[in-house]
Amino acid sequence: MIHVGWQQSPVRAFLTLVSLVASAVWLGCSNNPYPDADDELKVLYTVYVEAPRTLDPAVSYTVGAHKIIGAICETLLEYHYLKRPYELIPGLAVAIPEPVSLEDGRVSYTFELREGVSFQDDPSFALSAAERGGEKMTRLVVAGDYLFELMRIADPRVNSPVMHTFSKIDGFRAFTAKLMSMREDPAFAALPVHEQYRRAGPIKGLIARGDFSFELILSESYPQILYWFAMPFSTAVPWEAVEYYDGEQGRPRFADHPVGSGPYRMTHYDKQFRIVLERDPNWYGLQHPEWKAPGTIYPENPVYGGAAGESLVGQTLAFIDRIEFRREKETVPRFNKFLQGYYDKSGINKESFDTVIQGNKLSPAMAAKGIKLDRVVDLAISYIGFNQEDAVVGRAAGQQGKKLRQAMSLAIDSEEYIEIFLNGRGQPAQSILPPGLYGYDPDYKNAYREVDIPRARSLLIEAGYPSGIDPKTQQPLKLRFDTSATSAAGLIPIRYLVDSWRKIGLNVEVVSTTYNKFQEKIDNKAHQIFQWGWVADYPDPENFLFLLISGMADNKGPNHANYRNPEFDALFDEMTARSDDTVRAEIIQKMLDLLEEERVWIELLNSESYVLYHEWISQYKRPGFEFSTIKYQNIDPKLRAQRRRANNQPIMWPAYLLVLIVLAILAPGVVSMIRERQ
Amino acid sequence: MLAYVIRRLAYGVLVVFGVLFFLFVLFFWVATPDDIARRALGEKAPPEAIEQWKVNHGYDRPLWPWESFEDNMLFSHYRSMLTLDFGRSDADDVPIMEKIVKGAGPSLALTVPLFAMGLVVSVMLSLIVAVFRETYVDRMGVVLCVFGMSVSILLYIVGAQFLIAKLLRWFPISGFDSSPEVVVRFLALPIMVGLMSSIGSNVRFYRTVFLEEVHRDFVRTARAKGCGEARIMVRHVLRNAMIPILTQIVIAIPFLFTGSLVLESFFGIPGLGALTVEAIQGNDFATLRTMVFVGSVLFVVAQVLTDLSYSLVDPRVRLE
Repeated sequence: MIHVGWQQSPVRAFLTLVSLVASAVWLGCSNNPYPDADDELKVLYTVYVEAPRTLDPAVSYTVGAHKIIGAICETLLEYHYLKRPYELIPGLAVAIPEPVSLEDGRVSYTFELREGVSFQDDPSFALSAAERGGEKMTRLVVAGDYLFELMRIADPRVNSPVMHTFSKIDGFRAFTAKLMSMREDPAFAALPVHEQYRRAGPIKGLIARGDFSFELILSESYPQILYWFAMPFSTAVPWEAVEYYDGEQGRPRFADHPVGSGPYRMTHYDKQFRIVLERDPNWYGLQHPEWKAPGTIYPENPVYGGAAGESLVGQTLAFIDRIEFRREKETVPRFNKFLQGYYDKSGINKESFDTVIQGNKLSPAMAAKGIKLDRVVDLAISYIGFNQEDAVVGRAAGQQGKKLRQAMSLAIDSEEYIEIFLNGRGQPAQSILPPGLYGYDPDYKNAYREVDIPRARSLLIEAGYPSGIDPKTQQPLKLRFDTSATSAAGLIPIRYLVDSWRKIGLNVEVVSTTYNKFQEKIDNKAHQIFQWGWVADYPDPENFLFLLISGMADNKGPNHANYRNPEFDALFDEMTARSDDTVRAEIIQKMLDLLEEERVWIELLNSESYVLYHEWISQYKRPGFEFSTIKYQNIDPKLRAQRRRANNQPIMWPAYLLVLIVLAILAPGVVSMIRERQ
Repeated sequence: MLAYVIRRLAYGVLVVFGVLFFLFVLFFWVATPDDIARRALGEKAPPEAIEQWKVNHGYDRPLWPWESFEDNMLFSHYRSMLTLDFGRSDADDVPIMEKIVKGAGPSLALTVPLFAMGLVVSVMLSLIVAVFRETYVDRMGVVLCVFGMSVSILLYIVGAQFLIAKLLRWFPISGFDSSPEVVVRFLALPIMVGLMSSIGSNVRFYRTVFLEEVHRDFVRTARAKGCGEARIMVRHVLRNAMIPILTQIVIAIPFLFTGSLVLESFFGIPGLGALTVEAIQGNDFATLRTMVFVGSVLFVVAQVLTDLSYSLVDPRVRLE
């Protein structure tokens, strides 16, 4: 039954409705996206654009996923938070293991684990409670958990991207083959995975020495293996979690529910919307502060003059209680929410760059808001590559091809490219090695990485292409730049490079295809010139120099230039097997000299990351590659709440003005209508 | 009437079967299971992983009945869709039904108030404009409606986020939280934008409908009897204009469940609209074909309900 008043006048009814809705909205009027109760808690608010495809430590290989997994899963080794160059420190391992040479060139490492370290509470541990005769929600981390994870990496069904790297473990491939052949028996394939591994194993080069120690034997010397034990791939994974989280009966998959022994545990996971990590009371840093384990206390600060005070040294980590990852797909709202104080850190979007950064520094307006800038040159390289199997630009063309590549290298102005396309966020690369790595020499100048158009033209003449003319056809030499960029915006940087080569008379055609087609070209070696990049997995020159060894060519790895040079390969093997010393530095320099002359790549730039953060964040130091640092950071929630309140008072006068305007528009109409009707 | 309903439902079933066949051709024949697996696992995934993924998702069987009548993907596709057993997402292996259930709440939280308020506000404004017909209020109303219709919803979104959320700080720029104490904050701005973008066309349409009724004989008779203007508009004009209004309402109702693609995406509301956009962007074919199927079923249902509702509001309508 409608109230009589509503039938009297639609105008009155409308105004009543508008008033009711406006009142309801008024009461909720605030731009704070979080519950008020959280205002003064130590919660870090951060964002993600796309949810990680998987959080399985054996599989995930993205920065976004490692940000989450790195906080949940503890590794045997870690990186010193403050030291540069980067230095490994013990994590769950008591010490960094020393290599021991065995016969046949094999090398052994023995990891001693800390005893008394527990996993996060999780219902999956009920599966083993009976055989342990104890706790249903957690258990101790033992050597077997590491061996289990390494077996998972060896399992083709897990599809781990680092299978090739860990295949240096003695007997690793044999285990894979045995596992696959045993799985042909349906009865075996139906067994739980850990039982399959138990029957197909053990891996010859993984030997448990009791519950808290295991020996790792490599079939060849590979000192870089230690870095892989500072990455989530090799973390301790409980078999119970893998078996329990099977995606059945409402349980998530293990890929969506990692269980580890790290400082944080996942308490909420909604891919489309929100991921929440909370500090784990079981974490060994909190359970055993008396140990003062290197990975559980704030480190001494030998060099870095950041926000960390001396009083912090030795304090037990982790400082932040909760980490809220909120999904923000759009860049503009994301950045505006950061400015309002609702996100604690942010990158800088293109649209706002000029207002945020002025003269390579934070603008006064931003500094006045208490915002700080952290700049780090990434351990990364962006480059233009030449397919060495191509008859014109490759090694197949001999000296002619080499001179052509050298000429093309001299035409590219990296500085201008960085200024135009990256707002100056980067530095021109002189070699394959980015700053911050052993072997990087800041004084090194690549003879072919400066802009020198006259020299480039004379090199073109030496190559047999005067003014870019092919003497065989008497036509301009036609080259192809293959790219997967298809949008107008994506093609602009490519066109810039092509225009640079036009200055020396070279005609390079841009061939733009979908990513899949581009990938197909790379696979079939049908590409000629291309652009690619690489971000470090760990801070060792091997992780960059391996990009050009023969073993990584022919689609076996990321050597998309298909460069094969026995001399380079021999130097690489020698360099890889050595720890950092003067001999290693000399070998690296020889390799760089080879690459400088050969011009397999035009080293374009080392990108630089700009991160903005608010004044209430302290102890923040971003590494140049991905490893979890969240446990070292701190927040002053009182200051944050105070700043948020001060900066986010709603401005209401436009609302009143709008109401007045509407009334002013309606009033004469109402009056005239009443007169007419009378 | 019953025969008509049964006939219409039978047509509807045929349409849904046709849609299902079209979906099958598109998602299994044009894009093969191997393509889907590679997109999910990466181009360099080993053959064993591809095969295992296909087994896990039930994509390892022959496509057509003539290849294997007992166990083929065409029959299994029909069976799974018609029994609402949608399987798992190609992107992350989460059961699609779980995603739909999870996304329905935020979608309805946005679309139901938006639909209800949009309807009431549009009808009332149309009545007001009709009351003030041929005055400057009417003319200004029409101009504003045309202006409102001409502006893209994206501009409304960006403008509202900048002006209302950033400068005036009335509401959060984007995001969602279902907690009762903050949910209104998150929904206010998208609802405002939704209203702004749809109100122009709705008011113009309803105004036309009402003006058509205003000039009819029964209105003149009511006026001659001394009825007040407000009573005439609400009791006589509104009631007699119900058929076109109902057509719009009933067709829109089922789609409240599928959410608003644009609003959810831009305001970060994790509803079914955003889920569909995600599925398109993430090559999640299983979720996408489910959403297309759900959409087609809802459309067929809406059509039948629209026809039935005519006879409820207009006794002269006979469905045969």
